[in-house]
Amino acid sequence: MTRIKGLRRLVGLAAAALLGTGLAAPSAQAQQKEVTVWSWFIQSTMQKSIAAFEKQHPDVKVNYTYYNYSPEYITALKAAAASGSLPDVIGLQPGSLTQQYRDDLAPVNDLAAKAWGAGWADKVFPVNRKQMLMGNPQGDENYYIVPQESQVLCIWYNRKLFETLKLGVPKTYDELKAAAKALTAGGYIPMFQGAADGWQNENVFLMLANQFSAGIVDKAQAGTAKWTSPELVSAMKAWKGLFDDGIFQQGALGAHAYPTGAQLFAQARVGMMALGSWWMQESKFPPPLSQYIQNMDGFDFFYLPAVAGAPGASPPVGGIDIGYGLTKNGARNPAAWTFLASLTNGEALQEALNDLNDLPAFAGHEPKGDVSDHVKAMSARFMTDLPKAENQRFAQPAVAEALDNALAGVADGSLQPEAALAAVQAATDKALGK
Amino acid sequence: MNARIMAAPAAATVRRSRYAAPGLYLFALPATLLFVVFIAYPILWVTGQSFFTRSAGGAPVFTGLASYREAILDPVFWTVVRNMALWGAITIPVQMLIGGLLAYFIERHTIRLRGFFRTMFFLPVVTSVSVISLVWVQIYAPYYGIAQAYLKHVGIVMTSSAIGDASSAIYALILVNIWQWTGFSMLMYIAGIAGLPGEVLDAARVDGAKGWRLAVHVIVPMLAPATKSLLLLGVIGTLQTFPIVHLMTGGGPNHASEVFGTLIFKRSFVLGDTGAGATLSVIVLLIALVLSLIQIVFLGASLSPARKERP
Repeated sequence: MTRIKGLRRLVGLAAAALLGTGLAAPSAQAQQKEVTVWSWFIQSTMQKSIAAFEKQHPDVKVNYTYYNYSPEYITALKAAAASGSLPDVIGLQPGSLTQQYRDDLAPVNDLAAKAWGAGWADKVFPVNRKQMLMGNPQGDENYYIVPQESQVLCIWYNRKLFETLKLGVPKTYDELKAAAKALTAGGYIPMFQGAADGWQNENVFLMLANQFSAGIVDKAQAGTAKWTSPELVSAMKAWKGLFDDGIFQQGALGAHAYPTGAQLFAQARVGMMALGSWWMQESKFPPPLSQYIQNMDGFDFFYLPAVAGAPGASPPVGGIDIGYGLTKNGARNPAAWTFLASLTNGEALQEALNDLNDLPAFAGHEPKGDVSDHVKAMSARFMTDLPKAENQRFAQPAVAEALDNALAGVADGSLQPEAALAAVQAATDKALGK
Repeated sequence: MNARIMAAPAAATVRRSRYAAPGLYLFALPATLLFVVFIAYPILWVTGQSFFTRSAGGAPVFTGLASYREAILDPVFWTVVRNMALWGAITIPVQMLIGGLLAYFIERHTIRLRGFFRTMFFLPVVTSVSVISLVWVQIYAPYYGIAQAYLKHVGIVMTSSAIGDASSAIYALILVNIWQWTGFSMLMYIAGIAGLPGEVLDAARVDGAKGWRLAVHVIVPMLAPATKSLLLLGVIGTLQTFPIVHLMTGGGPNHASEVFGTLIFKRSFVLGDTGAGATLSVIVLLIALVLSLIQIVFLGASLSPARKERP
């Protein structure tokens, strides 16, 4: 009997404990809001951003899922969109990627105005603002992407190698050719081009095209200029010249910028490489770092000198490096916007800038903390150029793909510049419904 | 006659017993459900999608069979067909030949190091495609690559990358694929050789067959089931090719190494036109179906030597 009583007491206590747990659990869950985020953004930096955000908002838990961009991220997005299970916040590139998910994204105009004031968009650098609307149907002024970071394209060079070989920063195309020749003679790769990657080819072509006529690629993709115009044909010929003149390394068409090119560049086996402001982040990667990468001591940048027939050097070209969209699922979760606002224009962004991930998309931010004077100076130069940067992005993926194929075809000699650009024009006409 | 009389009541009994116990059909339910959910429904869904086109951000537009016409008239499609034909025509026989030779020499001429050789030649099969791609890109790289590091000792300077040249890119990828998958062919033939009836081989030896004669006239015919399996798997594997091409060339330069997998991926996920991707997927499915039927007709459905023909 005593044993039965004891057993009853035990069961009673267990039931009370379970009841208590059951009652307590929902209230704890109710207090802890959750935000789900997917992106290809570097995980270590994102974790720092999330930690900074969660410190400011202890009632919100951010769950971040990192993907490689291609094919993992873009296939995961497609599958999640088809099944209505997109996370609250997704990483986006402006233009085609944003447009593919426009139906699944919530416009952020009102939320941004409420958080940052009516004139918030004026604080976004002009090239970014343009890219935020890129590809929207006519009359749709909604913003479906909030930029987090910007970039400016440039030619990085190893200044220690240049000093060793007694080379100055190339100011003319002939000086660039001479530098490439000296580097090759010294046993180095002159300018590493990962020409198997369409994106790096596009970037160099944009530098060239904007030398001949600033903004002409933008006009061509919008249908207000022809891809077969003399300026773009000249740019395409200059592109071929970079291969023929020994500026790019031999066999560039089979090479990838990442990881191969970046590793060789970091190890001082490469003299120059067409990258962008994001290259500064290498100095914040976990050790061991090469002596050239430490505080970016070995590196500096310049803009591509004027090629034959071009009136001047490449102007800054760039725009949004990465942005984020609030999905329609996320629009039902107020904490999602709170995080997105922090990630793009708040304490979470500051962590990314401190990691030198790239340049801010909004004016008024700069990297802080453990950053060398040399890096600060380079960052300031980029920031000076960013407001006047030409657009780097494409609204229609079909146009970008056609340009990638044209650039590869011209580079390997299987296409003539005029015919290659005619194919891009045909793809543009089709994409624009002409 | 007697057999027919005996067979009829037996069949009737089976039919009656099935009707008497419809619950037996429940045993087929899990397999049927799996087939419907994971195979039949996706095929029907993709087929439905293939009748629509969709540009980035645009609403789906019904195009009917026009998307098929557009796919077939696209010159890139025929580049892909050519590449796929080359891929299958080169990789399948070469893998079979090298794999078969490796299996024969390992099984017939090694004793102590048999396990070592089997493991070494099979290693590429279980190695990550990402790793293989990275390594082979470095091997092909001129100027600073792995092959160049050795070739310079004999005075050879590579001036271009095989995967960066439109005329050689597909062959360079085929070589990597052969290197990776030959170990699988070897394993299949090892299994086949291990299953050869000893009495037949002994009888052949007694009749004077040995060496090349024994291999070609006795062992190779008896390995026909393994060869048929490899042929079937080779055709399927060819049509499924994606990761090596995607990681090493992305189908470039200028579509020169494009295969169905990369083209479908680009259409669906890069260009955002899921309809065009679905159209190509259905075409690949039809090609696979036709090729499988051809194999069944000409080679038979049986892949096992144990199966006996009905009298």
